[in-house]
Parts: sequence; C-alpha cells; structure tokens
Amino acid sequence: MEAGNNQRQNQHNKATGRRPSGLRLLVASWIGKILITLTRRLGKGGTTLPGRVALAVDPELNFKLAARLKGGTLMITGTNGKTTTASLIDGILEKSGLKCIHNQSGSNMSWGVASTLIENSSWTGRIDGDMAVMEVDEGAFPGIAAALQPRGVVVTNIFRDQLDRFGEIDSIQALIKAGLDAMPPESFQVINADDPSLASLEKNKNSSRWTYGLDLELPPDRFENTGQDLKTCPVCFHKLDYTRIYFAHLGHYRCTGCNYRRPEPDVKLTDLNEGASGTSRIRVSLPDQTLQLEIPLLGTYNLYNILAAITCARAMDISSQIISSALKEATPSFGRMERFKKEGREIIMALVKNPVGANEVLRTVLNWTGQINLVVAINDRIADGTDVSWLWDVDFEQLYTVKDRFPTVIASGLRARDMAVRFKYAGFEPGQVLVEENTGRAIEKAMEHTAPGGRLFILPTYTAMLEMREHLNKMGLGNPYWEES
Amino acid sequence: MTGKINIYHLYPNHLNLYGDRGNMLALCRRARWRGIEVNIVPVGPGDGINFTSCDLLFMGGGQDSDQKLVAEDLKERSAEMRRAAEENMVIFAVCGSYQLLGSYYTTARGEKIGGLEIINLYTDPGHGRLIGNAAISCSLWDPSRTLVGFENHGGRTYLGENLQPLGKVLYGYGNNGTDKTEGAVYNNVIGTYLHGSLLPKNPWLTDHLLQKALAYRHQDITLRELDDSLEIEAHQAALKLAEGRPR
Repeated sequence: MEAGNNQRQNQHNKATGRRPSGLRLLVASWIGKILITLTRRLGKGGTTLPGRVALAVDPELNFKLAARLKGGTLMITGTNGKTTTASLIDGILEKSGLKCIHNQSGSNMSWGVASTLIENSSWTGRIDGDMAVMEVDEGAFPGIAAALQPRGVVVTNIFRDQLDRFGEIDSIQALIKAGLDAMPPESFQVINADDPSLASLEKNKNSSRWTYGLDLELPPDRFENTGQDLKTCPVCFHKLDYTRIYFAHLGHYRCTGCNYRRPEPDVKLTDLNEGASGTSRIRVSLPDQTLQLEIPLLGTYNLYNILAAITCARAMDISSQIISSALKEATPSFGRMERFKKEGREIIMALVKNPVGANEVLRTVLNWTGQINLVVAINDRIADGTDVSWLWDVDFEQLYTVKDRFPTVIASGLRARDMAVRFKYAGFEPGQVLVEENTGRAIEKAMEHTAPGGRLFILPTYTAMLEMREHLNKMGLGNPYWEES
Repeated sequence: MTGKINIYHLYPNHLNLYGDRGNMLALCRRARWRGIEVNIVPVGPGDGINFTSCDLLFMGGGQDSDQKLVAEDLKERSAEMRRAAEENMVIFAVCGSYQLLGSYYTTARGEKIGGLEIINLYTDPGHGRLIGNAAISCSLWDPSRTLVGFENHGGRTYLGENLQPLGKVLYGYGNNGTDKTEGAVYNNVIGTYLHGSLLPKNPWLTDHLLQKALAYRHQDITLRELDDSLEIEAHQAALKLAEGRPR
C-alpha cells in the first residue's frame, strides 16, 4: 500500500509539475493546528477556518497528508446517510484493528477534510492513523477525490437536497459522475443499486464495483407524491416502472423505453424484523454467505446505511465476524436520533435537511407511542440550504392525522415563521403552534411543556442542530462534538 | 358547501421540483376554509383527460430531463390549452412549466424545446443560475402588493411586446436578470419563476387565483376574509431577507 501511495505521489507530482514541498506542508499544518486550538478556545468546533487557511498556504495539503496513510482513504458521499454510513464503516475498521481518522463532525468540504487530517498529524507531520474515513459533500466530491486518490468510495443515494447550491438532480448526478471519474485505477466503488440515477453511472476502467439493495416486501411508499425526484430513466428519459418502492425513488425499477433496469445487487437485505427495544433484526445475503444481525438502529434509511457499510467492508475483505460484532455496537451518529435524558424527560434530536430524510424521520417519530412534544427548527444558512421550499415537500400532514398526540408544536430557527405557516397548512390550529425564533429558548419552552416521563423531539436543520446541541451541552447533556472519541 | 373548484394538477410526479406541493396545499386549504369544495384531478403523461371541466390548472417546476418528457406529452394538448386560456380558464405555472407556456425553451445543453405558445415569451440559456430570495411589486391589485419567493433558474425569459409581467423586480433577478420584469400575466394565465413555496406566503395571490377560478364558472361568491397573521409574518420575514440582496 505504501509503495502504491508513493507511486501515486510521483504520478501526481508529474501531473502538477511540482516538486514535493515538505516545508510548505509543515507550515500549513502548523498554522492549521494553532488555529484549531484558538477556535476551540473560543468555543467553536474548529472545522472550517483552520482547514481553509491551511489549504491557502498549501493547496496540496490534503493529498500530501492522505498519502501518508498506509491503509489509504475511504470516501463516503451521497445526499443522505453519509454520516451514519461513515461512522458504521469506521466502527468496522476499528474492530478489525485499524486506527481510523474520521471527520465525524459532518464538516465534509475540502477544508473539513484538511482540518481533520491536520488535527490527526503531529507537529513533525507524522500522521496518527492507518486509514481515513472521510464523509464528503457531493459538491466537493470531484475535487476531494482528485486530491485524496482514495482506495474506495461509497455513494449512498442522490436526492433533492439544497437545490439552491447544486441546481437540480441532473447536476448532482453529474458531480457524482465527475467524482467517480476522478477515482484512481484499482479503486473500488460501492453503489446503491436501488437508486436508478446511481446505478446508471458507468464505472471507470480497472476499478471494481459492488452494489447493494433491499430485497424486502414492504408496504409501498406512503408519500409517493413527495420527494420522488427521479421518475424518468437516466439513460433514455422514458418513464421508469417500479415493482417496489422503498422510499422516494429507491426501489426495484426498469425503464419502459430501453433495457435499463436495476442491477442485481451483490449484497442484499432479505429479511427485516423490528425489535421492540429499538433494534432492527436483519438478514443480509452476500455472494458467499448469509448474515443474521441485530442492530440498534431503526428506519428504512438506516437499512441502506447498514448495507452500504457491510458492502464496503466486504469490498475490503473484512470477515463477517468482525462486521457483525462491530455493527452490534453501532450508535446513532451526531444529531441522527441522538437521545438525551433530563429530569425524567427524554429528548431525541434528529437532523432534517431534505424531504426524503425528513419524511423518514417523521415516520420514525410516529413509531413512538404516547404524547410527543415537537420542535422543528429551520435555519437557512448556506449549510442548511437557503431555499426553504423543501419544507412543503415534507409530509407534515402525517402528523396532523394524529395531532392530539402533539400537545406542543414549536416552530423555531431563522425561518420559524415559514415553519409556522407550514404547520398551519398541515392542519394544525394556529393557536397550537408556538413561534420562537431563538433555538435555545425554543428548547427551554419545549422542556417546560414536557411533563416528567414525557418525550421531546427536536428536528433541526444542520446549523440549527449545532446551535441546539450547544444549548443542550449547557444544560449538561452530551459533549461538544469535538470532545467525543 | 357553497361553490366548487376543479383543480387539475398537471404531471404531479414530473413537475414537482421546488415545493410545488405547497402551492396545491395553499389553494386547497384556503378554498376549504371558506367552505368551498375542491376537487383535485392529477393528470399524468398519456392520460386521456381533457380540460372541459377544469377551472384552475396548476403546473409546477421540473428539471430538464423531466421537462422534455412533459413537453412531448403537452404537444398533444397544446391546442386545447390555448383555447382554454383564451376563454379565461385559470392557469398557474411555476418555473419549468412557466417556460413551457412560451414559444420555445432552449436547455442548458442547447436543445430547443417547443413550447405551448400560450403566452408570447421565449427562454434562452444564460451563464450561471439566478438564485436567491426575491420580491416583486405586483399590479394585479390597486394599489400594487408585494409577492415574495425564491428563484432558482438557469433560463432567461424574455417577454414579447405588450405582454404584462407579473410584477416589477424589487429585489432579485426576475425573468432574465436585466429588464426588472418577473413572470407574466395573460388573461387568467399567470407564470412565474418564484417558488418558496409562493402561494402560502402570498395569500392574496392564492385568493386571486381562487376568485378567478370561481368567476370562470360564473360562481358569484366573494371570498370571506381569513386570519392571515401567520402568513403575513412569514411574508414580512421573507421580504426582509430579499432586501438583503443587491438590487
């Protein structure tokens, strides 16, 4: 592996016409390290600014530091499920005895990758880890793939997410394609076979491809008109016919116009039982064997994340014993159904960022019994998406059908008023909806309304989640994310 | 129930890019809150449905690949739609389908898609997408009122002579980023690039469409006032956001 990386380094230097500059890299990472310490002292996560400045000093920092990882880098990209999938893969690799570097705080642009690499290297530039597991934003995927020259990539799905940033689904697909094309030869790709826009992408020569998908009899998608981004064939633009839809456009499809159809996946989930204690009991069929697993994660979207992680591990020849024992200990990732306890009340926080993900979260919320207090906090900063129209594609109407179970509904965040209108048109009485723009005060109000033994769900967008997590930390709940192991 | 409106939703599975569901919800809720019955008819590609009993036709946004499929199917219906538009049927088209109302639409890849020729306008590609919060001053009312939304389009739309825009751009890009027009109005046909969703935050536009749909079927009903305080707050907040943009 080391030899391979040196070879890549040489190829890269030839291509860029530059000599390796060790000094520039050192200066860049020192500046980065100092800035990380400073920003942390100011109480920030330190994942953006240090990486940006360090990359300005040495634009090849990501490439140079990643080349020092003897096990190479894995990238996880796609619209939904990146964070959970990356953390599942990280858990499996750690179990197999590899020390992994992981950008688990969700800072998934090139500067986030840089900050993570800098943080895990010494002042002399020695990197403290065998492998890196990097969650990567779809928009940044081509650039980061070219820089990191990863050993493998997992692409989870393409949904409508922050269209103001990317334009449309067609252009997200083009970004994924450009990223796959930038992967080095001999690398492997793990692709969701149930997503027609991904499975149609041709793999580049010499790389290997692994696919995964669900093979379950599930009730058809209840929200068929929402978030179904892709109904036309990505090859010939005719209509796609589905025999099964798991959610949004994920399912078993074939084109009515050309030969394009769902490829038979290498790794399939063939059986599912939801355990009462918040676990999923699943059966996974691999080319050479079948695995029975019990995993402490719920929801169809997590089934895809689990499959992606298993498939990636198999692509790396990791034994099924290691996979099983690692997945058994899986915990929800940062802000993805995280659970906190306070004075006999349970607080559950789940990130919402696009219609498909939010619908799945709402579906999971409704799986809980009893009364539920709800805070939905919508920010419209760049990391959240500045266009909030996606709120109207989320099926909040499903809450209305059981609206007596929601004694308090609070709309919060910079776009609290848009969310309040959304609740009103979902069928809630205007008097039932509280508007509290300040996310911290929204938590306090919601806690006041939550009786002991009661349950509070907080559904924030990304930057609202960062704010609210900080507030929960002040209440003595959870740790700042950069202090987590 | 007094009054009834038939809303035809054109290609709900193909034209639904930016919260168009919100526009449909706003129309339905605001009619039903006044005891007006709403009947929604989803129309898919190839469905043998004509518009003889349609009062209000809603068309949402689509991305290029969907738009092509839709444009082909619409060719079959274009004569019928033109006739209905001349007879004052209400048509509300957002973004991608607004472009289709014109004579042609050239995609970013340079492909020219023939339009429905209902409104005298055309759309060419431009450099970069026009994205952000926007506000316009709309003269469907006297005095004119503001409409707020979010725009995100690559195409530049140019209005033909004597065609009335939906409004004058206060903040944002509008039809093409140069002539300060946004959207178009012809008879009871309204096309716009604004989503967000548009109708929930601009309840007066929703009511305008409902009122015109009732009048189209000679239903003499005046829409009762509703308590729109939440909607107005959201409108004002969005207006403030748009103000933050360069003129």
